[in-house]
Amino acid sequence: MAHQAHAYHMVDPSPWPLTGAVGALLLTSGLAVWFHFHSTILLSLGLILLLLTMYQWWRDIIREGTFQGHHTPPVQKGLRFGMILFITSEVFFFLGFFWAFYHSSLAPTPELGGCWPPTGITTLDPFEVPLLNTAVLLASGVTVTWAHHSIMEGEREQAIHSLTLTILLGFYFTFLQAMEYYEAPFTIADGVYGSTFFVATGFHGLHVIIGSTFLAVCLLRQVQYHFTSGHHFGFEAAAWYWHFVDVVWLFLYISIYWWGS
Amino acid sequence: MYQGLRQLSRRTIASSARRQVENTVKEKQKLFQEDNGMPIHLKGGSKDAVLYRATMALTVFGTGYVVYSLLSASMPKKP
Repeated sequence: MAHQAHAYHMVDPSPWPLTGAVGALLLTSGLAVWFHFHSTILLSLGLILLLLTMYQWWRDIIREGTFQGHHTPPVQKGLRFGMILFITSEVFFFLGFFWAFYHSSLAPTPELGGCWPPTGITTLDPFEVPLLNTAVLLASGVTVTWAHHSIMEGEREQAIHSLTLTILLGFYFTFLQAMEYYEAPFTIADGVYGSTFFVATGFHGLHVIIGSTFLAVCLLRQVQYHFTSGHHFGFEAAAWYWHFVDVVWLFLYISIYWWGS
Repeated sequence: MYQGLRQLSRRTIASSARRQVENTVKEKQKLFQEDNGMPIHLKGGSKDAVLYRATMALTVFGTGYVVYSLLSASMPKKP
């Protein structure tokens, strides 16, 4: 076997970029076919393919890092840059929806009654469930930091407990938000108020679910002894993502729930 | 995920009902560092191959189906 004389990672040829690309193609055309022809087969196929791709791609990364030792310090630096750039792109994604919200709410049109909230909209009380949701996510930020320190100090059981608590708080947020969606006195079809509210909070909720899943994978890896006190970048990436989700909520809460009510 | 029941060590503060997970990282490291020329996505064994074949089958079928679907959607339908 030829040995590399450098610290970088030359990845084995992999089929997952292709399967992922086809999955994305199926997902997008499947969406269009569903809209126009009421058939969900393409959409479902795309979803399954994307899930299979994600599972196997990330499984392979764990093999390359934890089992083959390819994640040397320079490689880890690259992974850190990658995660930071990805989260930055997500910040810009949400910035768009905040732009839409402020565009409509700072200069409300006559069709809305010239006011914000628009005439006829009963907003949610920001000091009820939304405030609880804020507390839940802030608490989860504390527990994920506790988990990080536990991992760094080699406290296996504490890391497992605090990580589990973080995930449970994430589930609690999602549950509370789902109840709010069900009980809300307005829908996504209720003018620009409904659109901005549900699209912004909806995408945020999706990111909470993604973040909770990422943390759950980290919990499984922690239980299986993958993380060491000095090397646990997968967990750090999940924690960064989680903090990002928390910060987006704080902006949502202050802008849409509080100022916008 | 849980590899099986193990005897609880007296020094760990684990509840008496908890099962311990075995640390199999060393075995996995040996498996994935074996010099057998297998690419990472197949190096885990036959389960890898089954999952790969299933994924590729869906990919190929899906590509064909989406081309057919989009072509037929772009053709005018007879009344």
